[in-house]
Amino acid sequence: MKKYKFIEDLTSDVMFEAYGKDLKEVFENAAEALFTVICQTKKVKHNITKDIVIEAEDVRELMINWLQELIARVDIEHLFFSKTEIQEISETKLNAKVYGDKAKPELGETVVKAVTYYEFKFEKTDKGYVARVSLDI
Amino acid sequence: MKEKLKKINEFEWLLPKGVRERMKVDAKIIANKKLIDAVEDAAVQQLTNVATLPGVVEPVIGLPDMHWGYGLPMGAVGAFDAEDGIISAGLCGFDINCGINLIRTNLTADEIRTKIRELVPSLFDAVPCGVGSKGTLKLSPPELDEVLKRGLDWAVEKGYITEEDQKATEENGKMSGADPSKVSDLAKKRGGPQLGTLGAGNHFLEIQEVSHILDKDAVKKWGIKEPGQAMIMIHCGSRGLGHQVATDYLKIQEQAVRKYNIWLPDRQLVCSPVKSKEGQDFFAAMKAAVNYSFTNRAVMTKWIREVFEKIFGKSWEEMDMKTVYAIAHNIVKLEEHKVNGEKKKLYVHRKGATRSFPNLPVIIAGSMGTSSYLLKGTETAMEKSFGSSAHGAGRSMSRHAAIKRFWGGKVKEDLLKKGIVSQATHPKSLAEEAPEAYKDVEAVVDSVHGAGISTKVARMVPLGVVKG
Repeated sequence: MKKYKFIEDLTSDVMFEAYGKDLKEVFENAAEALFTVICQTKKVKHNITKDIVIEAEDVRELMINWLQELIARVDIEHLFFSKTEIQEISETKLNAKVYGDKAKPELGETVVKAVTYYEFKFEKTDKGYVARVSLDI
Repeated sequence: MKEKLKKINEFEWLLPKGVRERMKVDAKIIANKKLIDAVEDAAVQQLTNVATLPGVVEPVIGLPDMHWGYGLPMGAVGAFDAEDGIISAGLCGFDINCGINLIRTNLTADEIRTKIRELVPSLFDAVPCGVGSKGTLKLSPPELDEVLKRGLDWAVEKGYITEEDQKATEENGKMSGADPSKVSDLAKKRGGPQLGTLGAGNHFLEIQEVSHILDKDAVKKWGIKEPGQAMIMIHCGSRGLGHQVATDYLKIQEQAVRKYNIWLPDRQLVCSPVKSKEGQDFFAAMKAAVNYSFTNRAVMTKWIREVFEKIFGKSWEEMDMKTVYAIAHNIVKLEEHKVNGEKKKLYVHRKGATRSFPNLPVIIAGSMGTSSYLLKGTETAMEKSFGSSAHGAGRSMSRHAAIKRFWGGKVKEDLLKKGIVSQATHPKSLAEEAPEAYKDVEAVVDSVHGAGISTKVARMVPLGVVKG
C-alpha cells in the first residue's frame, strides 16, 4: 500500500492523503508526509529521539493535534524529523517516538505554518484508514 | 460563481448579495479583466461566504492579487460592525502581520552593483533564514513579553532602530491592548528563539533600485530623490509565534461558534462575537503577534545596516538608510469608517491587504525578479475598500506545482541574466518562488491605481535577493 500521496495543488497550501492498514500506520505515514514538506528527510539522520504523547477527544482531533505538535517541535526544539514509531495508539491517545537531527537550513524545504481544516478527512475504508490533510505553508 | 460577476467599470466587479443564499451584503472585486479572468472560482466563492457572517458591513472586498486562501482569499478585506459583528482568526491568516519594511539609501544602483557579490552573501549570513533557522537573540520569557506588549518601543529602547523608524511604522509598531497573557506558552516557545529571523516561503530580503518615479511630490516627502537610487525591502512575518496564535485561536473560536450558535457556510470561517471573551482574547493575542512581527523586522533592519556599514565603510546615517515605511498585511484593526454616511467603528480584517489611508505609504511587493511599487493611500480607498489596497503579486501557481515545473538552478541563472544576484538556503526555495508562479504585479498595481484605492509613487526593480 502506498504510504501517502500529494493529491491537489492549492495556490497557498499543500494537501496530502496518508494511508495505513491500521491507526498506527496512518499516523506514521501522515507524519512522514509532513516531514517531507518541511525538510529533505533522506538527509536527516536519526541522531536524536523524542517521546511524544498526544491526547484528543476523538481520532480526527488526534490526527490534527499530532501533526500540529510535530510542526511546533521543529520551531521549539530546533529539530528536523525523518521517522516516527507509534508505540501505542487508541482513538484518543498516542505515544510515539520521533527520530531526527538538529535542524540545518540547507536541509530544509519550507516552513509549514499550520495544519488546517480545509477538506480535512479521516476515514475508515475496506483497506484501512485514509487521512486527508492540508497544510498552510 | 465567476459568471455572476457584474462589471461596474474597468476595474470594479460586483457580486450582488442575491448570488447565493444568506448573503447579507454585496461583495466587490477590484481588478482588471485580465486578473478577473485568471482568478479561481473557489476564491470568488469565498468572498460570498464571508458576506453571510454576522455584522458584516458592505461590501466584502476582493483585491486584484486575490487567490484562494484559508476561509477568506489572500488579498481580501472583510469589515464587521464593532457592536454586533464578529472577529475571526480565520479571516486574519496564519502569518499575523506578515508585512513589508521599505528602507531607502542614498547609494546608487551602480555603487551597489560593484559590491553586490559581497553584499548578498553578507546579508544572507547576517540575517538567519530558511526553515530551521534560529535567531541569535536570547530573550528571557519576561523580555519576550515586553516585545509582545510594547513592540517597537522595546526595539527603540534596545537600540535596534530609532524613534524616526518607529514613526514610519503602521501603528507606530506598537498596537495598544496587546496582552502577552493571551498568547499561549507554546506560541512563546515557538517564537522566542526566532526573533530576528526571515523564515522561508515567500519571505525575502531584496536590494532594489528605483526605476521610475511616478509621483514627484510624494517621493520628496519620503526621501526618494531619483531613479537609480538603491532601496531595501524586507518581507516577513511573526514566525512560529504568529502561526501558533492563529492555530490556538482557530480552535478556541471553533468552540465559540457552537457556544454562540453562529451559522457558518465554511468551517474555516470560525469566529466569535466582537464583544465575547473569545473575540477579545484573540484580538489581544493578535496584537501581541503584530508587535512581535514589527520588532522582528526592526531587529533585521539593524543587522542589514551593519552589513552595509561594513561593506561601504560609512555609517548607516551617512548612507541615509532610514525606514520609508513599515506596513502589515495580515491584520485585524478597530477603525472608524463611514457607513451610509455615518461614522462607525468596524473591525477591519485585512488578509493579504495593506492599509491605504490618505497620503500614507502603501507598499506592494512583486514576485522575485519583478518590480515592486511604493504607492500612496487615498480618500477613494476610504470610500471603496475600508482604506485598503493590494499587498503583492499574489500566487497563480502552488508552491508544489512551481517546484515540479521549475529548477532552482535555472531560476538563479535567469535572475542573473537580468542582473539580479540571488542567494537562498537551497535551490528549491528559488524554484517555488519563480516569478512565473505569480500574477503580473504590473496588472495588480494598474488595477489599484485605476480603481483609485492607491496611486503609484515609485517603481523599484531588484538588484539582489536573499531567500530562506
